[in-house]
Amino acid sequence: MAGKKKRRSKKWIVNIVLGIICFVWLLPTLGLLISSFRPAADILETGWWKVFPHQEWKTKDTIQLSKDVDLRGPIEVNGQTYTDDQLKSGVMQDGKRLTWENRRAREISVQDQGWVGSPKLTLDNYKNVITGKEYTIKNADGSESKEKGTGLSQAFWNTLTIAVPATVIPVLIASFAAYAFAWLRFPGRRTLFVVIIAMLVIPIQVALIPVLKDYTSLGLNGSYLGIWLAHTAFGLPLVTYFMYNFISQLPKDLFESAFMDGATHFTIFSRLILPLSVPALASIGIFQFLWVWNDYLVSLIFIGNQPEVQVMSMKIADLVGSRGNDWHLLTSAAFISMLMPLAIFFLLQKYFVRGLMGGSVKG
Amino acid sequence: MKKTSKPKLSLLMVLGLSFTMVMSACGSSKDAGPSAEPAGTASNNGGSTATANEPAATPGSPLEEALQGKYKGTKVTMFGPFVDADQKKFESSIKDFEDKTGIDIQYEGSKEFEATINVRVDGGNAPDIADFPQPGLLASIAKTGKVVDLTKVLDQEKLKKNYNQSWLDMGTMDGKDGKIMAGIWNRSNVKSLVWYPKKQFEEAGYKVPETWDEMMALTEQIAKDGDPAWTIGIESGAATGWPGTDWIENIMLRTTTPENYDKWVKGELPFTSPEVKNAFELMSKIWMNKDYVYGGTKSIVTTAFGDAPKPMFENPPKAWFNLTGNFITSFFPETAKVDQDYDWFYLPPIDSKYGKPVLVAGDIYAMFNDRPEVRAVMEFFTTGESIKSWVQSGGVIAPMNDASLDWYTSESDRRMAKLVQDATTLRFDGSDLMPGKVGAGTFWKGMTDYVSGTATLDEALKQIQAGWNN
Repeated sequence: MAGKKKRRSKKWIVNIVLGIICFVWLLPTLGLLISSFRPAADILETGWWKVFPHQEWKTKDTIQLSKDVDLRGPIEVNGQTYTDDQLKSGVMQDGKRLTWENRRAREISVQDQGWVGSPKLTLDNYKNVITGKEYTIKNADGSESKEKGTGLSQAFWNTLTIAVPATVIPVLIASFAAYAFAWLRFPGRRTLFVVIIAMLVIPIQVALIPVLKDYTSLGLNGSYLGIWLAHTAFGLPLVTYFMYNFISQLPKDLFESAFMDGATHFTIFSRLILPLSVPALASIGIFQFLWVWNDYLVSLIFIGNQPEVQVMSMKIADLVGSRGNDWHLLTSAAFISMLMPLAIFFLLQKYFVRGLMGGSVKG
Repeated sequence: MKKTSKPKLSLLMVLGLSFTMVMSACGSSKDAGPSAEPAGTASNNGGSTATANEPAATPGSPLEEALQGKYKGTKVTMFGPFVDADQKKFESSIKDFEDKTGIDIQYEGSKEFEATINVRVDGGNAPDIADFPQPGLLASIAKTGKVVDLTKVLDQEKLKKNYNQSWLDMGTMDGKDGKIMAGIWNRSNVKSLVWYPKKQFEEAGYKVPETWDEMMALTEQIAKDGDPAWTIGIESGAATGWPGTDWIENIMLRTTTPENYDKWVKGELPFTSPEVKNAFELMSKIWMNKDYVYGGTKSIVTTAFGDAPKPMFENPPKAWFNLTGNFITSFFPETAKVDQDYDWFYLPPIDSKYGKPVLVAGDIYAMFNDRPEVRAVMEFFTTGESIKSWVQSGGVIAPMNDASLDWYTSESDRRMAKLVQDATTLRFDGSDLMPGKVGAGTFWKGMTDYVSGTATLDEALKQIQAGWNN
């Protein structure tokens, strides 16, 4: 009995800790979501939490002081004197707050606390992001013409065209490689494997210029094939390592019996290994997909910013304008770009946790 | 049940995987074809067309030939920092040229231009033409010898006629062997402007100050009336501090000789020298007075430069002056009208000895691949025509002499163009000319540290100067 109770209280602690972690992680996301529905001017003025009903000081009355009150001296209001700084930040008098209503006109507002609700919300941010912004361009004759910019849809398909093969290719190659490393005996196996693992620590930045030079001579710059290969190459070491961990832990007896029955390596791989490693494939697939989907650097260097091939992350960066004047659009754009990874995650999530643990503790 | 469904699922996955593999293998060759083409034509066509029409042999410039349709169907790639609205404006200003000549200018804009251009040039993937907002960056690339020297490409006589000499001087840089003309100026910004809410300013009975002393008196007057006069913001993400450098540059031009300014930009006059310190002190008289700055001195560092003008557009205005370049108008509320709701005045001279200096910035276009159609496009960019529709849209000043003042659709822009033409001294934004370590490094950081109070003036100046040493 006592042990059960103890366990239950332990669980309780775990739940609380998890709850706190979830809260800390979700709070900024919630803020972003709410901000994405607020007009730009409001985002600048107040925090997102102000959309909830809250108490605020409201002007009930105003006091007009004499126009030639010196702001740098003591200021007398209703028989009491205050400094300018006090009035700037607000000062209490008889349960009411005094603050400048219009400092220039020497007008002081007397405020009461009251409830504020019904915030201003708008879908404009989403509209601008999805369908494109409208630009006003003046013509030679002085007339104005409106030109519609492009929305995210083209970039969305571009990103998908890049992300799917850039996930599938490395995962497939890495599974083959992992099988070979785990179950085939060939000379130099260990050395090769160590070399691949060593690749994990090489930052991709050092490879950018050399690879770009090769791409230039091969004419691969700005092409989908080029970026698929780049993502494949940059992703392979980790994916191979991950798949090796999983595949090498599968029970040996299984392959031996299959081998006895006359199965070739390819049959073993396709009939046994792949079906057994679905959880691992799914979880590393999610990883790789997220990495490619959110990638900015590799796309920036190898595919560039031409609208036909531009990816979401770069399109979103461009949305804010040359000097960042439309930064409020980032809120809604972030949510739209989040949709796809979220969908993938929820589709494959039942494999996800299993896959993560699969490689590490089995055996 | 579960056991039977599992192999099926995995088989499906395998099929899916292999299908996409095959698809991707097939698709790639098709996709790679057209998109890789610009890079291909850049290197291949160059040779053949150049021999076909040797520019020196034919009468008339490449531009005239292009207008005759000689380069129809060719492509010129261009890379620059304009995105979004700016990109639209740029594209509309070159559309007419593209229609007439049949040359397709493929413009690629990127927010990360500064970071990417070096990688592209080093990787052998340079665009035909690149648009540099910071000449310092072009200068560092010019040194590697990868930029085409324009002295032989463009007609020098024509250039001299169409540009103020100081623009041409600013386009001349150190090449691999000796001086080269690394680029030509196409778009310029004026940075000596103080923006103010015109309507309320006039209603309040204030007068546009003509001298620095008048301006300081007006600042004090406004403070007495109950408002901080200035609204200043230097926050800009990783580039925090840069709007502050414009202040120092403007004051430097007004308190010392242009020669000293040039020396300062080159690193020969240290930041710790009395001239520079004086400029910082003059600036501090406004910045460090909490009655003069909206939100007080401490808010300067935390206010985004684009948000700084917003208090001017409240009714009544909560602040009155904002010193920034003409690009800032894109941050103004859409409802505010130029010439009516807001306007600018020239940041007044401090010492009449130095006349009316004007601080400018701009975009310099450099050429990386020498092909006749690229020459034609470069020549086109030296004409005012190339930026006409952008000028009409507002927000930019054309540096060319053949850009008519009539093109400007607002009085405010026209006055700006005139200000540049009439300037006694025209100097380029110093921090953009300094090497990146100083101009985009310690200068920004030093300004920020000084204003936020983490460093005294002397410490900050020493810290900025240290950028030259490493």
